[in-house]
Amino acid sequence: MIKLEGVSKAYPQQDRPALLDAYVDITKGEFVFLVGPSGSGKSTFLRLLNKQEEPDTGRIFVAGKDIGQMSGWKVPMLRRNIGSIFQDFKLLPTKTVAENVAFALEVIGRPRGVIKSQVPAICELVGLGDKMTKYPDQLSGGEQQRVSIARAFVNRPLILLADEPTGNLDPQTSIGIMRLLDRINKTGTTVVMASHDRGIVDTMRKRVIELSHGSIVRDQARGVYE
Amino acid sequence: MAIRIDYLFKETGQNLVRNPSLSLATILTVAVSLSLMGVALLVQRGVDRINTSFKDEVEFVVWLDVDIQNEQIQAVQNFLDSTPFVDSSDYIDREATYEEFQNFFAEEPELLQLVEPDSLPTSFQVKPSDANVELIRELGTEIETIAGVSDVEFATDNIKAISDFSQGSSTVMAVAALFAAGAAALLMYNSIRTAVFARRREIEVMRLVGATKWFIRIPFMLEGLLQGLMGAFLSIFTVFAVNRLTDSFFTDLGSYVFRDFAVPNLQVLSIGFILLLIGAAIGAVGAGVAVTRYLDA
Repeated sequence: MIKLEGVSKAYPQQDRPALLDAYVDITKGEFVFLVGPSGSGKSTFLRLLNKQEEPDTGRIFVAGKDIGQMSGWKVPMLRRNIGSIFQDFKLLPTKTVAENVAFALEVIGRPRGVIKSQVPAICELVGLGDKMTKYPDQLSGGEQQRVSIARAFVNRPLILLADEPTGNLDPQTSIGIMRLLDRINKTGTTVVMASHDRGIVDTMRKRVIELSHGSIVRDQARGVYE
Repeated sequence: MAIRIDYLFKETGQNLVRNPSLSLATILTVAVSLSLMGVALLVQRGVDRINTSFKDEVEFVVWLDVDIQNEQIQAVQNFLDSTPFVDSSDYIDREATYEEFQNFFAEEPELLQLVEPDSLPTSFQVKPSDANVELIRELGTEIETIAGVSDVEFATDNIKAISDFSQGSSTVMAVAALFAAGAAALLMYNSIRTAVFARRREIEVMRLVGATKWFIRIPFMLEGLLQGLMGAFLSIFTVFAVNRLTDSFFTDLGSYVFRDFAVPNLQVLSIGFILLLIGAAIGAVGAGVAVTRYLDA
């Protein structure tokens, strides 16, 4: 599903590369943790996968396609197959829960009928069926992250990228979010999650890829944080 | 995959009312610059109309000495008949001149009493075969050297001066209009950039979930287009009013040369159409560039 072949990426203002000669192969339906301290290249790894960044060298394949060869107008199609969630949720404060989720369908031109049926179903799935008319600032952090997961998953993407999704949440709430991500993974969605939450990584016992100064220093099935 | 119409209208409307003062400033700037452009076009057409309406009447008058001899009159007549540059000429004798004089000063009988037909100079009304101003001038200088000719008066002198002046002012206005249009486009660019900035979170989400660039761009371009069109509409009213005022001004003045300067409403409409096109282009393109620069950033 995801394949990196000798991928390197450096930012102009930094002397150390953000990612150095990375080789990774992730198959469909896998759940992968990216671990490592801040600045180790986790976010760059994720941003390369949906073409928010371009690699300096190497090739990246997503769903069998070399995304480096992909022309610009196809990038939106790539992103429709990749859901993204973030530490800061990136919800729109002027829209309700339902509207935030519906927005993701609206802007890719889905018909109204689909939106009407999909939005309540996905809100139910993430456990917010009774809070669809609430605004983000009326929700707890965990609930906001559930909205953002609903928005990322409503389009049934093949891949879900999660950048520190529990970074702003307490341990108890984090467990709830991880259960939700695990459920989504069970539906066949490949999940790649950057985290430096030791407790979560150790509990889940999934594949762990450890980055240090942009290099992959460990790739371990059913691994732990350290 | 088609963009839903209701979504477009909702987005465009929201953008317009989100920052009403900026919207208004943009619309007014467009209106002012397009008004300038419209008036420049108006003057240009007016000049064209004057020039064409006088093309057929580029006569000049050859004034003869009061005490001219008949042979001399004949000599002038012969010259005018022989040169190929003269289409036709009419001799206006004393009686005809006096009659015209009487008509002209009908309001002032005291003046009429002072003038005897014998004291008036006679003249030739000459219609040249070519409307070329330089040619007529040369011809006139040549005629002035004939004995018994006191003066050659060109109608074209006045017209040329006026049309030169109008042409000049129209060029100045066109340049000013270009600058104003540039300012309008820049303000449009800024206005849309502000709108884009206000919606940067939405745009970020849109890009993440896979909205196409055009999908993000079109509501902003539509907003720019609408602002451009509104400005253009305002400028059409201005141009229309200016044309009306010009017309009544010259009619009141009784100006012979300028009687055709104001253009008919149909031509104002055609100028209006041009202004609408330019307004729409400034709006849509300015907005498109503003959003694209943000999208590529």
